[in-house]
Amino acid sequence: MRIFEAAGHYTIRQLEYVGGLAIQFWRGARLSLRVNPFSGRRLRWKRTVAQMAEIGVRALPVLCLISGATGMIMALQSGAELRRFGAMDAVINLVGTSMTRELGPLIAAIVVIGRSGSAISAEVATMVVTEEVDALRTMAIDPIDFVVVPKYLAMLVMMPALTVMGIFSGILAGGLFTYFTLEMTLGMYLGRTAEILLMRDIVSGLVKAVVFGSIIVHVGCLEGFRVTGGPEGVGRSTTNAVVKSIFLVVIADLLCTTFFYFFWR
Amino acid sequence: MTEPQIHGSHRQLPHEAGGEPLISVRGVRVGFRERQVLDGVDLDIYKGETMVILGASGCGKTTLLRRLEGLEKPDEGSIRIAGVDIVTASREKMEEVRRLLGVSFQSAALFGSMTVGENIALPLLEHTELAESTIRLMTKMKLQQVGLEGAEDLYPTELSGGMRKRASLARALAMDPKILLFDEPSAGLDPIIATGIDQLIIGLKQTYAITIIVVTHELQSAFLIADRICVLDQGRVLAVGTVEHILNHAHPRIQQFVNRVPDEVEHRSSSYITGFE
Repeated sequence: MRIFEAAGHYTIRQLEYVGGLAIQFWRGARLSLRVNPFSGRRLRWKRTVAQMAEIGVRALPVLCLISGATGMIMALQSGAELRRFGAMDAVINLVGTSMTRELGPLIAAIVVIGRSGSAISAEVATMVVTEEVDALRTMAIDPIDFVVVPKYLAMLVMMPALTVMGIFSGILAGGLFTYFTLEMTLGMYLGRTAEILLMRDIVSGLVKAVVFGSIIVHVGCLEGFRVTGGPEGVGRSTTNAVVKSIFLVVIADLLCTTFFYFFWR
Repeated sequence: MTEPQIHGSHRQLPHEAGGEPLISVRGVRVGFRERQVLDGVDLDIYKGETMVILGASGCGKTTLLRRLEGLEKPDEGSIRIAGVDIVTASREKMEEVRRLLGVSFQSAALFGSMTVGENIALPLLEHTELAESTIRLMTKMKLQQVGLEGAEDLYPTELSGGMRKRASLARALAMDPKILLFDEPSAGLDPIIATGIDQLIIGLKQTYAITIIVVTHELQSAFLIADRICVLDQGRVLAVGTVEHILNHAHPRIQQFVNRVPDEVEHRSSSYITGFE
């Protein structure tokens, strides 16, 4: 009986977590609509721009390096196999489609989780521990509005942008490979890639980027808000944010890919 | 102990004037697990008075303050602030009540990512349509009020403990609150700085018709600033009254507290303390 009891408790806890995530997501989305540079809420816009620099611009170099390396690895690995069948030019298809549909958004998500997901939960958790969130509430400022919304908006803009840059550097690295093995110029390579890619591939990549970005922000903030037990709790919530974000991003990736496989051929 | 300086004994105290209390706490109970932290607290606070909630650590005074600030709800009972029961109030009503409150936290709770000036300007930026230049001027004024002229461009980490307390007080005053709530104003400060903060509170009370609620365990500070004192012990109100009233109160717990007598501790062998067998 113990096992069933434990399983029940676990299930309820997980459901409660997903519920909390959904509520925060809903409120964040609603409050986001009220932020624009022309309204009276000046501070929100400034904070959003600052977050964009932090989440997006500063992540760009490392993201391009990792995506480029991955594109090169993809080209080398597939080239090694395809060479045996004399189908080396299929490397272009493979690198182009897999970067656009799958690896671009996934690598962007992993880089952003590592850089910003952890930072977000540490920042929010510290604000809870030092009573800053309480201070916001006594000032009649909604912590979701003040803390979550700027990060969410920044993420909604920067995740697709980073994904595009990541895809581009991955494809460029593939071009480097074909330049040396197939002696194909970069112009020809990019032309071929453009022919191969469908609107479907690009849209599915960008949809994934937006979904992953939402997950990273909301899991990071929720873990921060739920911190317990002072400073050592901050470290725990950071770990939780990273682990849960990676898990949820992969699950969401699976769902998105399944959806596009069946409903948009 | 030096003779406590009693302020305002010559003037009529707000609670003597009668009338509706500004804050009225009735039968508030809060429990964590098996422990009853607040066990039926009743308290009236009148407009313009300085009420000090005094008690030992763990007596429930911070728990009570958090309920007054509307940060958490009690399990039972009602808390009325300016005629609104904040336990049952809607979100909109609660926001209205919150605009009457200015809160200074024990840890100061300044936003670490913003300068002192931005901290103080924050409620003004959020809740008013004032021009930036006006807000800058108001920030300067608030800082001057608490004796921190020229500190607006410093970050909270660059301030000392006492300065941080002052900055958090300036932020609490930014929206000209009707009620100022103060959690342990002198916690972690040396006596000289702590007395400075006490003087600041007395100054505010004399300048404005502001209602001040202070939670503390510091006797000297309590006697210095209070119009009335509420003594809290194990989740119950033992006594409410003026400084003389509390000093002469017959209750053994109050006498113990006022005269700084420690609790009886059962004898422990030295091995227990040092950890050696």
